[in-house]
Amino acid sequence: MKEKTSIIGKSLPLLDGFEKVTGRLKYAGDVPAMPRMHHAKVLRSPYAHAKVVSIDVSKAEALRGVSAVITHMDDITGRKKTCNSPWHDFSFNFRGPMISQEVCYVGDEVAVVSAVDEDVAKEAISLIEVEYEELPAIFDMEESIKPGAPAVRPWGPNALDPSVFSWGDIEQGFGEADYIIENRVTMGNQQHAPLDRNACIANWEGDKVALWTSTQALFWIRDAVTEFFELSPNNVRVHSTPTGGSFGLWWGNNFMFLAVAIARKAKRPVRLVLTRDEVMTTVKRREKPLIDAKIGFKKDGTMVSQSYRHLMDNGAYGNKFDPYQSVADIYTTKHGRVEFIGVATNLLPAGCMRGVGDLTLAYAMEQTIDMAAEKINMDPVEFRLKNHWQSGDICHTSQEVLFAKLLFNKEPEVELTSSGLAECISKGAEKIGWKDKWKGWGKPSSVDGTKLRGVGMGISTHISGLAFFGFNGITLKVNPDGTMVLTTGIGRMGQGGDTTQAMVAAEVMGVELEDINVVDGDTDVVGHTMVTFGSNGMHMVSRATKAAAEHAKEQLLEFAGRELEANPEDLDIKNRRVYVKGSEEIGIELKDLMSKPIYEYLSAPEVIGSASQGVEFHKAGKMMMADFAEVEIDTRTAQMKVIQFVAYHDSGTVVNPAVCENQVAGGYYQSMGLCTTENLVFDEDTGAILNPNFMDYKIMGPLDMPDPEIYFEEVYDEDGPFGAKGIGEGVTCAVPIAISSAVYNALGVRLDPPMTPAKILEALKSKAK
Amino acid sequence: MIQIYLNVNGEECPANVKPHWSLAVVLREQIGLTGTKTGCEMGTCGSCTVLVDGKPIFSCLRMAVDVQDCDIQTIEGIETDDVLHPLQQTFIDDHGMQCGFCTPGMIVAAKALLDKNSDPSEQEVREAIGGHLCRCGTYVRIVRAIMNAAEVMRSKS
Amino acid sequence: MEYYSPTDLNEAYELLKKFGDTAIPIAGSTFFMGHREELFDEVEAVINIKKLGLGYIKTEDEILKIGATTTLNEIFDHEITSSGVYKIFNETVNELNINEVRNMATIGGEVCIAGEVDMPTTLLAYDANIVIGGSEGTRVVSMADFHIGYLNNALDVTEMVVEVQIPKPPENTAGGFYKFERTAADLPIVNVAVRVSLDDDGICKDVRVVAGAATMSGVPQRSAAAEAVLLNNKINEDLIMQAAEASSDIECIDDFRTPAVVRSLWIKCSVEDALKKALSELDKGE
Repeated sequence: MKEKTSIIGKSLPLLDGFEKVTGRLKYAGDVPAMPRMHHAKVLRSPYAHAKVVSIDVSKAEALRGVSAVITHMDDITGRKKTCNSPWHDFSFNFRGPMISQEVCYVGDEVAVVSAVDEDVAKEAISLIEVEYEELPAIFDMEESIKPGAPAVRPWGPNALDPSVFSWGDIEQGFGEADYIIENRVTMGNQQHAPLDRNACIANWEGDKVALWTSTQALFWIRDAVTEFFELSPNNVRVHSTPTGGSFGLWWGNNFMFLAVAIARKAKRPVRLVLTRDEVMTTVKRREKPLIDAKIGFKKDGTMVSQSYRHLMDNGAYGNKFDPYQSVADIYTTKHGRVEFIGVATNLLPAGCMRGVGDLTLAYAMEQTIDMAAEKINMDPVEFRLKNHWQSGDICHTSQEVLFAKLLFNKEPEVELTSSGLAECISKGAEKIGWKDKWKGWGKPSSVDGTKLRGVGMGISTHISGLAFFGFNGITLKVNPDGTMVLTTGIGRMGQGGDTTQAMVAAEVMGVELEDINVVDGDTDVVGHTMVTFGSNGMHMVSRATKAAAEHAKEQLLEFAGRELEANPEDLDIKNRRVYVKGSEEIGIELKDLMSKPIYEYLSAPEVIGSASQGVEFHKAGKMMMADFAEVEIDTRTAQMKVIQFVAYHDSGTVVNPAVCENQVAGGYYQSMGLCTTENLVFDEDTGAILNPNFMDYKIMGPLDMPDPEIYFEEVYDEDGPFGAKGIGEGVTCAVPIAISSAVYNALGVRLDPPMTPAKILEALKSKAK
Repeated sequence: MIQIYLNVNGEECPANVKPHWSLAVVLREQIGLTGTKTGCEMGTCGSCTVLVDGKPIFSCLRMAVDVQDCDIQTIEGIETDDVLHPLQQTFIDDHGMQCGFCTPGMIVAAKALLDKNSDPSEQEVREAIGGHLCRCGTYVRIVRAIMNAAEVMRSKS
Repeated sequence: MEYYSPTDLNEAYELLKKFGDTAIPIAGSTFFMGHREELFDEVEAVINIKKLGLGYIKTEDEILKIGATTTLNEIFDHEITSSGVYKIFNETVNELNINEVRNMATIGGEVCIAGEVDMPTTLLAYDANIVIGGSEGTRVVSMADFHIGYLNNALDVTEMVVEVQIPKPPENTAGGFYKFERTAADLPIVNVAVRVSLDDDGICKDVRVVAGAATMSGVPQRSAAAEAVLLNNKINEDLIMQAAEASSDIECIDDFRTPAVVRSLWIKCSVEDALKKALSELDKGE
């Protein structure tokens, strides 16, 4: 039930807005230098696959100003564990040695140097002598999974065991279908390309290590460092600074481990800063998909059976066997099968980027759905309204199901909780003027000289967190003047998570947002919090925040009850004041309550609310969206531009509209980049990246696209705090297919991202024939 | 090493530099003003924009030793006597930021625009920040915040 | 690496002579700083040339003279280059959407780089001459002869560009500058500058069609074929389209940025648009 709220639903300014606009906010690269601090640089492999036969660092070590050099041979724990030992991250984004003796992609780490300044460190790098023995390198997924293909890396097969989900009987389903459509889809390589470069400072004091880095994965880094360096959590303190954008990039990353290892050897604090090129070419990229889709449906448009095989390029060290998607269930069919295969290649490791499988698989599904609707000449809006899921439907392919099987060998049925998808589709269609603009499949909505316009649409969904990400421990402390301190491990990547968590607390406590100070980013101080990804902040972490606030409120009302000689159940808090319900003139200001001594204790009270809870996986909502695009193709110049874009999102209650609008706009610009100019280009002979920075990896700027129109369908989610679900990742998911579909309808040819002028020109030429 | 003095935000700041060190790096590491960011160090992102004699330039492409006789203004000098510039206030109120990394560069470039043109069109605002990237995609509200600040400044004068 | 900031030309020339090819004059410093990693070991002397009084825009003896260290925005804002017969220069700068670079980059610097920049394309279309100074004296080289190849020009290692001169175009002349990029803030992928002069009967008596940024030669190049279509003819829409088609005589770079087939298409479109714009100005008697 939607409650009446005074904080939730308002576009209150960000808590760190003042710091951001005055240049005071410190990202990892801004953290002040520590005494005796040195600077690190990394020697990286020029080969896509090679054995490091020998490595001589003597000249580098002898250079004046150099404090330490480490290679794969160095002992990192004092107990004979070398840098060549593997670590793996909980999300399966990475598995591999910290410094490998067998390098597996261009840019792979070979050695690290720390020195008095970066110039000396760079010179030392140039003095390291390495003998490489080149090994066969594979750059293509299908080549990689062929039987007999050379191993991409020194462990495991090139293809991970497939994750398979199936329900019903797809052969029977396809047998019952009147029509079957098959389709194969791929895309270019997108990279997160945040504006900030990131850095990691590590410092050992005896057997304790502290690190400072920009990340959203505070506790994972703590746990991974603890495990890898064989320490106790009490010996590892991670400070996370806000990131200058992440989009899935800054979790536990290998370079953070390098900083910890070199700092230990150097016996001084060491700072490792990534260059722009290193950010784009040595950390992570979005997995490139290769998807085979097959859909069976009846003459009247009812879908009967669906089957998808989704290969994802994990690159050299990526380890994902599930792309993190929920979209495979978005069309309800009696029969279905989905297969995900993580494939290794000797290219930059790949891992999660905003939207993950709900962008890649949605693209393939939706394009195939379009082809199906075209076959029976059905309007795409109608086709989707006919077949999409409803609340209560079984989610066969959710990761909850996958992890229940993996961790417990159980096979639960997970149901969709709330859904506003139907409204998003129909209202979105209305906003773009679909009825007037839709002229039929492959038919432009208007033609003006050399310019063709077309409309298209797409839908998708995404998790609002996954229970498997962990428990959340949150505290709320009340100060003597009635202001409060909220501790949380939520990451600050620009999604306003600290502000919205504080809004939840402020709503419960009856105070203003600015009364709450958020302390985050310190593993010694805050309770374990889910890594901030998969859009779990509002829908999942906030449950603990709300509970912690309710716990604090309970204590406050108990103290107030004594003071007012009333039953705590008859009390509430509003506008920083506790009052008696029904007799509001009787009450006490929070600041008085918190500063007045109480007779029995001869002192004023202390109130600390806390909650430490997990999320029951059956109670996890999903966000949904429907996007609509009108594009214009100029057949003279082979260029495509967006005329109008409508994004309609169901994220439950919208806690802070401005924050949510910004998130949706961000997803639009990022996906527009994927659709047009963003593509990491790998040299086909060497595997090196030809466009390692913004000079040639082009992202959208302020002059490139029209503003999107953003709407929310606020379907109250019973499990989400104040009815809220998540928003952050889903914002990219339905954009590419809306654009591609619009291009098809304008042009009559299906193009996959990036839809470059070269591809458009070729399409125009092929049509002319 | 060359000893130089840079006039930053009205203050004379000493620094010891090598010729190839950029103004951006010297501001951040020696003068301690980390508000100016170095997202790319090659003039392709706009996060390092500062004003030199009132004109916006990329401080990552300018040598520190080359601006000794100039008036340099960074994001830290945009507020005056602890009062936020109207741009800083509208960026807060209108949510002209998400991660905030591009924000200093955006505000400095916008300030230069509004100092020259008190009633810019939306197109002129976009052109003034044409070389500024925002990966969080906050362009809608950045432009809105700059337009609103222009209005505030016009009504004050 | 040493830094010098001479205040008179002779001092600058002496430094260039002394350091030869290990010296680099800088004004905007965008090129040097953008490439400082690669250049670091080769450069011994960085010579700031901004204090030599080379920042000016004036007309003298029917010649537009722009000092080498004049910035793009100074050209954009100046009365002489933003109106009348020289407004093509304002129009050229207007196509660069990065204001900070416009405040830093200089005409002298762009002339020396010649590759992925805009000004040299327009300068070639307007028959510019480059004034070169050195300890041996001053000499003048035409824009066409100044560019030898990609990042390779006619300067001797002891010389520097001091001024760019543009002769006053004949009566009844108009120009146009068009550009294609991947996003609005980008290197130019293709740029085109045209200059059309008509006689009293409306016949094209002189024309330049120049493409830059996309050329295999690495420097701005005239399209002889496009110019031949227009010269001595009365220009109409058909002829413009023919000239645009004929610009395919320019061999284009084929790379991951943009393939040659698209660059050629964009040169064709730019030629068409630039000629149409120039013609419509001539029709209006501007």
